[in-house]
Amino acid sequence: MVELWFALLSFMLTLFVVLDGWDIGAGVLHLIVAKTDRERRQVIAAIGPLWSWHEVWLVAAGGTFVLAFPELMAVSFSGFYLALWMVLWSFVLRGISIEVGGHVHDSLWRSAWDFVFAMSNLLLAILFGAALGNVIRGVPLDASGEFSMSLFTDFTARGRVGILDWYTLSVAIFATVLLAAHGATYLRLKTTGPVHERSERLARGLWIAVTVLFLLVSIETWVVRPELFQSMFQRPFAWLALLVIGVSVWALFTGLRGSAEGRAFAGSCGLIAGMLAGAAASLFPVVLHSTLNPEHSMTVYTGATAERGLRIALFWWPVAVALALTYGFTIMRIYAGKVGPEHDTQGY
Amino acid sequence: MDDAAFWHRLQFAFTITYHYLFPQLTMGLAWFLVYWKWRGLRTGDERYAVAARFWAKIFGLTFAVGVVTGIPMEFQFGTNWSGFAKYAGGVVGQTLAMEGMFAFLLESAFVGALVFGEQRLGPRMHFVAALGVAVGSWLSAYFILVTNAFMQHPVGHAVHASGVLVIQDLAAYLLNEWALIQFAHNQAAALVTGTFAVTAVGAFYALRREHTEQASMYLRHGSLAGLVAAIVVAFPTGDSQAKIVAKYQEPALAAMEGRFETGPMAEITLIGQPNIKERRLDNPIRLPGLLSFLAYGTFHADVRGLNAFPQETWPTNIELLYYAFHVMAGLGTIFIGLMALAVLQRLRGQLESGRPLLWVLMFAFPFPFIANTAGWMAAELGRQPWLVYGLYRTDQGHSTVVSSGDVLFTLIGMAGLYFVLGLLYLYLIGREVGHGPDHRMLPPLAGESAEAKVTIG
Repeated sequence: MVELWFALLSFMLTLFVVLDGWDIGAGVLHLIVAKTDRERRQVIAAIGPLWSWHEVWLVAAGGTFVLAFPELMAVSFSGFYLALWMVLWSFVLRGISIEVGGHVHDSLWRSAWDFVFAMSNLLLAILFGAALGNVIRGVPLDASGEFSMSLFTDFTARGRVGILDWYTLSVAIFATVLLAAHGATYLRLKTTGPVHERSERLARGLWIAVTVLFLLVSIETWVVRPELFQSMFQRPFAWLALLVIGVSVWALFTGLRGSAEGRAFAGSCGLIAGMLAGAAASLFPVVLHSTLNPEHSMTVYTGATAERGLRIALFWWPVAVALALTYGFTIMRIYAGKVGPEHDTQGY
Repeated sequence: MDDAAFWHRLQFAFTITYHYLFPQLTMGLAWFLVYWKWRGLRTGDERYAVAARFWAKIFGLTFAVGVVTGIPMEFQFGTNWSGFAKYAGGVVGQTLAMEGMFAFLLESAFVGALVFGEQRLGPRMHFVAALGVAVGSWLSAYFILVTNAFMQHPVGHAVHASGVLVIQDLAAYLLNEWALIQFAHNQAAALVTGTFAVTAVGAFYALRREHTEQASMYLRHGSLAGLVAAIVVAFPTGDSQAKIVAKYQEPALAAMEGRFETGPMAEITLIGQPNIKERRLDNPIRLPGLLSFLAYGTFHADVRGLNAFPQETWPTNIELLYYAFHVMAGLGTIFIGLMALAVLQRLRGQLESGRPLLWVLMFAFPFPFIANTAGWMAAELGRQPWLVYGLYRTDQGHSTVVSSGDVLFTLIGMAGLYFVLGLLYLYLIGREVGHGPDHRMLPPLAGESAEAKVTIG
């Protein structure tokens, strides 16, 4: 039961990263991919009416986290206190910049909000990357079963670590480039005109950068947590993730070379999902690895609520997910098709 | 209580109070949108479409601020209240997850389409979007009120061997008596906020003698719905709320009325200042017997005063609790009178022309925000010193690993960010109200000229 809820929660988080990832990626590239006001409205229109639906998957995952793993949620959220509040501030700024940016027809007003939009997305990409890095590297859990982390300590990845060190920073850069590539692949599919041309060029360049950085980060991970690779090769589920990654890479690169924009985008989504699933499978069951003493590490079993609560939630959870996906896909279908430069955000 | 606990409480109080200014308006306006979309669909009358389009813009802005200020609330359970999350997460996690999955994912899917997608969706689907957002926002209120009701009056749980709470009976938890009453009371109060906003804008246009047709509609629909909602807030919902407080939180009831002595024929206090040190109410003006009647249904019922309870079970801020309760109850009474007057004027055919009342209606819109806030302060201060009533004290709940310095840092950050957000919101709402409802027909969706599009924005 605990294993199942770990999988369901991983599913929700992965869905969030894939869905909101293309909004964040488009936001990171906002100022580069779109030069004129009309083009920038086009990018916002392309991430369209569903950006908040994407973001809410994180909130839903947060609720599910409390539901299934209250202790784990409490320990990790309070431990990552400052970093999490920076995520929240970035979310506030991003949401506001999307909603009010198009409200006033004034070039200064719009330039200011375009800048806020790009910066808040950049910050979100870096912070989520650093968060992933922290989960892989581990946190300074001590005998009390809690931890409190500074933003940085001595930038080594051992002992009393901070949120940022050489390893988590590398993962943050990797994640930012990855999400930017994902966003460019999405914009290539979703737009026409100059934005389309630029995102196509960017997507090709960025995915090559992702490949190089991926190899680099893998080697770094092997230095920091060698045992993860071992567990990856022992778990059939991780092989499945590797298979998904393989197929996605093929779809992505053939799609990028030709004009199969949909295939490339599907590959991009699959690749991100596969990588996260692979990471989740190799980390399991230790979700908070202690950098001080492995004995203090927290597993999903120690962090979970009682069996009964998990069983009860299993009755309504599938219904809720089915409904939520139905709403989202309904809106996606209504808004299917490319967004041209003549689109105004007010018409999305 | 140490320093850190104080800052954690202040931060939560500040962020939740600020946040709730926005959802109460959207939850109230949502049903106006549904109603106007529905009437427009049935009658084809363009006036309804114009009204829905105008209020959808106000709604969209308010909703956006509500969403961005709401997301931090969910996270604070873990970041700032990890003790509580560990202790009660096994119970309240059920509704926090349900809120996200059943409600947030519903409203967020449709809100963009509601605000910007009238042409793209077509009339029928656009009505569905309005309905989806309205239902989603009210569902979200229900789930979060169940969570709060558990803190006020815990039911449906069991104590696990490790000492933490786990869910035992989901139905009992979801249908908590406290949640049902609180939901009815709270939602009626949100409707009051929405109706006051609608009538205020109507009064503003009527006084300026512009958009007269729209103004008249806002005044008529707003005041009628406002009267019904204001009455429902007081009776039966406010009355039932008082009775369950009397039943389950006796010290809170005594503190709300500033009552120290026990006895029958307990009076309702109209005015007076609680003096905790001397254990009395200074300068009181009271109506005898009414409190006994309201709380227990008979004038001769004994109402226990604070002196009957050990001091460590008293609410921790009796003065604020007392004033919050009285501000709420006083304003609620005035709302009924004001809206009754407006409906009376309408029956006499003078609602749009009686200028003094229009002035009052125009300036009345901030007061439901104050009353709602005061009501929530009364509920939450009345719950003290407990985080989960009778089970878990507030000073046990905060994250011990987070230093006061960290909390103060984020509190200052939130205060600054929310201040800017508030200015921005007021500016944009003022701008939309200044522009007024747009009577022009919408241009066709595809191939329209750039000129035509600018007019919608």
